[in-house]
Amino acid sequence: MKDAKSKRRLFSENSDTRTVVVISIGFFLAIVLIQLITGFTATGKWAYPSFASPINILNILMQTAGVGLLAMGMSVVMLLGDIDLSVGMLVSLVAIFIAKGIRDWGIPLFAALILGVLIAVLLQFLMGLIISRFKVESFIITLGGSIAFRGIALLMSNSQEVTLNNQLDFFKTNLIEGAVNSQGMRLQLPVYVTVFFLVAIIFWAMLKYTKFGRRIYAVGSNPEAAFLSGVNVKNIRLVGFVLNGLCVGVASVIMLARVNVGIISIGQNLEIDAIAAVVIGGLSMSGGKGSIPGVFLGVILMGAISNAMNILRIGSEWQYVVKGLIIIAAVTGGAVSERMSRRKTLRVQEIETRCFVNEEENEDQVE
Amino acid sequence: MSKTVFKLNDISKTFPGVKALSNINFDLLQGEVHCICGENGAGKSTLIKIMSGAYQPDKGGCLEFEGTACSLNPRKAIEMEIQTIYQEHNVFPQLSVIENIFVGMEITNKGIVQRKKMRKMTQEALDFIQCTVSPDAIVGTLSSGEKKLVEIAKALVFRRKIIILDEPTASLSASEINFLLDVVKKIAKAGLSIVYISHHLDEVFEIADRITVLRDGEKVFTRNADEIDHDQLVRSMVGRDVSAFYSREYFTPGELALEAKNLSGNGVYDISFNVRRGEIVGFAGMVGSGRSELMELIMGAAKKTGGELHIGEKKVNFKVPSDAIRHGMCFITEDRQYTGLFLDHSIARNTAIANLVNNKKIFSTPKYNLKIGNGFIEKLNIRARDASVVAGTLSGGNQQKVVLSKWFNTNGDIFIFDEPTCGIDVGAKQEIYKIMMDLLKQNKAIIMVSSDMPEVVSLSDRVMVMRNGSLSGELAREEISEENILNYSIGGSKI
Repeated sequence: MKDAKSKRRLFSENSDTRTVVVISIGFFLAIVLIQLITGFTATGKWAYPSFASPINILNILMQTAGVGLLAMGMSVVMLLGDIDLSVGMLVSLVAIFIAKGIRDWGIPLFAALILGVLIAVLLQFLMGLIISRFKVESFIITLGGSIAFRGIALLMSNSQEVTLNNQLDFFKTNLIEGAVNSQGMRLQLPVYVTVFFLVAIIFWAMLKYTKFGRRIYAVGSNPEAAFLSGVNVKNIRLVGFVLNGLCVGVASVIMLARVNVGIISIGQNLEIDAIAAVVIGGLSMSGGKGSIPGVFLGVILMGAISNAMNILRIGSEWQYVVKGLIIIAAVTGGAVSERMSRRKTLRVQEIETRCFVNEEENEDQVE
Repeated sequence: MSKTVFKLNDISKTFPGVKALSNINFDLLQGEVHCICGENGAGKSTLIKIMSGAYQPDKGGCLEFEGTACSLNPRKAIEMEIQTIYQEHNVFPQLSVIENIFVGMEITNKGIVQRKKMRKMTQEALDFIQCTVSPDAIVGTLSSGEKKLVEIAKALVFRRKIIILDEPTASLSASEINFLLDVVKKIAKAGLSIVYISHHLDEVFEIADRITVLRDGEKVFTRNADEIDHDQLVRSMVGRDVSAFYSREYFTPGELALEAKNLSGNGVYDISFNVRRGEIVGFAGMVGSGRSELMELIMGAAKKTGGELHIGEKKVNFKVPSDAIRHGMCFITEDRQYTGLFLDHSIARNTAIANLVNNKKIFSTPKYNLKIGNGFIEKLNIRARDASVVAGTLSGGNQQKVVLSKWFNTNGDIFIFDEPTCGIDVGAKQEIYKIMMDLLKQNKAIIMVSSDMPEVVSLSDRVMVMRNGSLSGELAREEISEENILNYSIGGSKI
């Protein structure tokens, strides 16, 4: 019985992910139901809903891998209580650099990729250095960074698109070549999806099981107390941005491999998508709360929303409206459920303390 | 005989676990300066908060304003012409003097702000107190003394009848203090009633018409200032029930644990003292005398500008708190909610954080931390089901024990306790004292900052008294008494 109790406790410590789990399941069921019903009314037969088909689910994963990587880096930054608005334009910058390097500047493919990732890390390092040493708002610094990165990216490409000749197709290698679905259609699981999975698993383990992870949560929750408890707050924040840079670098390579064109619009508004996914995943904007599994679900949910609307043939105008409303609902729902669960734990604790005291008194009497 | 403007009859105020005021009677005459004296925690702040309407008194007591019974809230207090000037400046630094005075109460004519009229009224008030500050000066650029004068001018502009001044001279220079005292005398002569709170007894004797002394939430007496002298006043502020004191056992102090030589920085100057293993060195002094600042300096949380620090025989130079933690230092901070705990994290996480410095491993798993946390719950008798409980939901005493767990987990041996029992109930207090005694038994050294007089007197082996950022006295065990501590903290000498 004691085990069951401690298990329940462990789950409730991750209560911030509960909302996204509920919304994801709800959304999935709702779309499947809509498809079943519309399919039945149109043809009079029960058809398997295409939204839940393996081919579509793999599709969603392919569409979300890039944003997903950005969301992983953003999670670390936001757990620390910071935010990064520059990731979108940094993706454009790096993608254009790599494309330009391979096509026009004669840099070997491998070197161009490494250099591209290093540029992302370096620029994030610089911004992190300014934010952590001079104690300035990350919101403003990364906003400034975003504008500057856009300019640099445009300068490098002369405001033109840089088309590649499928040099990065390695990342699209199908890992389940030959697999087909019941209608004989080809199933795809490209390398870059597994890169996303890998990074998600590494970040999850890092945040949950390492000293570094403990320190990230501590800094996000209460930087002053963390400092006095021996945490080097400045360096932890800086490392957060460096890790974010690594994610942005890898994400840029993946985005470029997917579309084959280095163009300014490649990263446009990606920071918004990444932040939205992170927030839906239950991370607190003020830092110190949330988990990677929640963010992972948030990423998938965001991808699934666009995908489902496309399947249901809803115009992109409506997609924005629905996406926005779901973000608002998720965050509000999270806040409300948190308040409710806090009230509940307070009540439970009060009762338990009272029982605890009574027990003690009884013991005294026995003695 | 001038008439009574304000009266408190039989006022009591209880906070959870503490009786802050009991059955206080207080009256204020027109045109008098009425000083309220007492140690830290005697109930002065609670009393003025009741006068200004920030707190409601418990049932039973009643307030009278010019002969009619009333109840107060801050808005009503202002309507009734009571102005409270708090110790910290309640000004808007980016706004001008005029804007500060009239904020929220601008004089308008059909919605248009009457700048000219407001300027004239401000200038008149400033002239009356002979303040040379321009009405258009930006308040943030003024000195502390001038800011106080602006607040007094505000009271004059709105023709307040009562002004409450809480420690107005705390951050002022000597000449500013003299000027301010003159202003206070002058406005009292003009018919305003002043409630004046100060730790500086010489100021009190300079301006007071009457003095009320509070001790542990009870009124000792109200007397005319010329009826008592300095020594009588000090003696009336101290002297408590024996039950307030903790009787501890003493150990023979061992080798030197920590020694500071001429330490300066962070607002403290030239501090020299030492702590040996098995003893508690208490730091007493008024709030704001630089005790917590000194502790931050020792811990490496603030920049040292001079002096040396030795741990045992070794000279050390702590740049950040993690250096100090590596040398076995533990810092139980004054404000556990803001600088001690991670309120939204579990007990397990809170316990684990400080020891990360000493821990050479890469991993810190939830399971391991839960085990450690559960161990401390048992050891320190923390009232929580297990270590996964969120720290913010615990009571004050239990939160303090979580902070202790965090430091015990580092296996440190020099403990700094800053206000160890602030805001926790009597039972938990005794438990914390017992834990401190256990530490001494284990041959650890303790530095304790406390404003709780019985705590300092009954727990310390030696007491260092601080005043205005430097040490004003050191008391050996047989010299420790409330009178001696109080005298050093307000700038006197041993009795």
